[in-house]
Amino acid sequence: MQAYLPCGVYHQQYSEDHAWWQTKFVWGKMILLGVLLFVVFPWFGGYYLGIMNSIGYTIMGALGVQLLIGFCGQITLGHAAFIAVGAYTSALMLLHIPESQAFWAVFLTKSGLLYPVSIVAAGIVGGLWSVLFGLPSAKVKGFYLIMTTMAAQFITVDFVITQYVAQIGGRGQAFSLPPGTIKIGPWEIDSDVKVYFLMVTLVILMTMAVANLMRSKTGRAWIAIRDNDIAAEAMGINIILYKLKAFFVAGFIAGVAGAFWISNLSAVSPEHFTWFWSLWLVGVILIGGFGSIHGTIFGSLFMVLVMELLQVIVGVLTPWFPSLSMNFLFLKESLFGLSICVFLIFEPNGLSYRWWQIKNYFNLWPFSY
Amino acid sequence: MELFIEVVVTGIMLGGVYALVALGWTLIYKCSGVLNLAMGELTLIGAYTCLQFYTWGIPFVLSIIFTLIIGFILGILPERIFLDRLIGEPVLTVIMVTVGLSFFFKGLVETLWGTDTRVFSPPVFSLEPYRLFGWLVIGKVYLWSFLAAMILLVLFVAFFQFTKWGLSMQATADDEMAALSLGISARFVYAAAWSIAFMAAGVGGTLLGNINGINISVSHLGLLVLPAVVLGGLNSVPGAIVGGLIIGVLQNLSGAYLDQYFPGGVKEIAPFVFMVIILLFKPYGLWGWERIERV
Repeated sequence: MQAYLPCGVYHQQYSEDHAWWQTKFVWGKMILLGVLLFVVFPWFGGYYLGIMNSIGYTIMGALGVQLLIGFCGQITLGHAAFIAVGAYTSALMLLHIPESQAFWAVFLTKSGLLYPVSIVAAGIVGGLWSVLFGLPSAKVKGFYLIMTTMAAQFITVDFVITQYVAQIGGRGQAFSLPPGTIKIGPWEIDSDVKVYFLMVTLVILMTMAVANLMRSKTGRAWIAIRDNDIAAEAMGINIILYKLKAFFVAGFIAGVAGAFWISNLSAVSPEHFTWFWSLWLVGVILIGGFGSIHGTIFGSLFMVLVMELLQVIVGVLTPWFPSLSMNFLFLKESLFGLSICVFLIFEPNGLSYRWWQIKNYFNLWPFSY
Repeated sequence: MELFIEVVVTGIMLGGVYALVALGWTLIYKCSGVLNLAMGELTLIGAYTCLQFYTWGIPFVLSIIFTLIIGFILGILPERIFLDRLIGEPVLTVIMVTVGLSFFFKGLVETLWGTDTRVFSPPVFSLEPYRLFGWLVIGKVYLWSFLAAMILLVLFVAFFQFTKWGLSMQATADDEMAALSLGISARFVYAAAWSIAFMAAGVGGTLLGNINGINISVSHLGLLVLPAVVLGGLNSVPGAIVGGLIIGVLQNLSGAYLDQYFPGGVKEIAPFVFMVIILLFKPYGLWGWERIERV
């Protein structure tokens, strides 16, 4: 949904019409956002940075889900599997390539390019894995597709990764990455601030990539498939190809998200990628709003902050209700479920729709008709 | 060979329980078009309710009947509160509401009963297995669970075929508009479908809880039901029953024969692998309606 232009702003060139930031005011807002993200927020303490990092991770995960569900209409309930594939790809590369003596391996390790390369590799592997489970989408859709993506979750995380991939190298199920392995060039990603900068860079890159993709032929084809796949096919769109492309891009984003997440935790374990996490990501975009990149970000902010707030409240109440902190996890689950139900019933367009309304109210003020 | 027969027989017994829960699932889908992912949590609640009654000293059969009653009430509630408002919404919305419900129920169960594994004590069925023909060994639990599941299945099917309410449910499933014009209350049918599904799921959970003990993993049953209904075709009651039996057998067979090649959780994963294969080659299952779509 494009916001309306403010009163009295007219475009005379197509290039103005195509511009991302169309008015001086928007430029100002964006510069302010950049200053906030790169200058102000890093001064916050470790606790807040930790929250921001998990928000960023949620945004990255949910962006892929948004692309598949919100833009292409291919419902996925197994996205955590692709994040897990990315995380494990990156972790295995970080652990095994430095052991090798080959020329390229030594070069990658010494130059600090290993982690960036492993992020890209994680994206590609995640994308290919996602395409594998997207193959049934050529034949089935709707509920049947949900089933296959769900199967992807169980087959990938509970079986392939837990039983086989996690056993590579005999480290047991959970890998921990020794300090000093995660490096970008000369910088070692070892503190919350550095993880934060990595996160912000990745989120901005991904958001820009997806937003631009949605303005291209591919993006329009996805939207056509979402709105009516039979009509799209009749219009000459190769729907199988475009669906698989959507799966690849979503898997790529998921893989990168997974590769990012190991820099935050310095560890990786199958327990981080449960089915709950897949559903959580779908919940995030439902609450944020379908088919909107804003929605992904708002949804992530909302979910992470509300859960954090809940944790604080529980912490305050614990002296009176000691069982509360023990049951927090269950409470969180219940609340998550209830909030999804309530949002879907009372606010089916999500938070981004409200945002759109508010923005338009101010843009069109004082002549809102 | 004896191992093979034993595995198949146990699989059929287990499949009986799956069939019961799958029947409930299909019923909801047929009557109201809701794809229910909360089935696992319904089984969980049923299992814990029954356990609670049993630990209070109520005989097992009576506690199953009480579970049925509670399942009936609990089935109507979410339908009335949430799903009634969502008639005509997109598929994903409805599915996610059931997912939301499933999390809500799960959190509730965990808060009320904790996460430790509980067993029916004293055990309802003795551990002494039956020996048929002198060589075929079947656990008592399996046999009785199978029989109980079959009795309920027959009861439910008879309900559909021979009572007025069941017939009105069939009519709604067949053509909602025509049923409405004949004076059938669609809201009643939806509520009935949910409560029957809840009852079936509760008993299924109880029976499975007798076999393995009750903890959160009982809700895995709700996911195992999905391969069964996909195999049978989503909107076919006989399909759900046959699919449940087949998935039970396949699961047991892969646990017995594939485990040596792929160590680890083959048994838990096998139904999902079968499901993907079925979806690739026969997406509408054995007896599902093939939809012809037009722009």
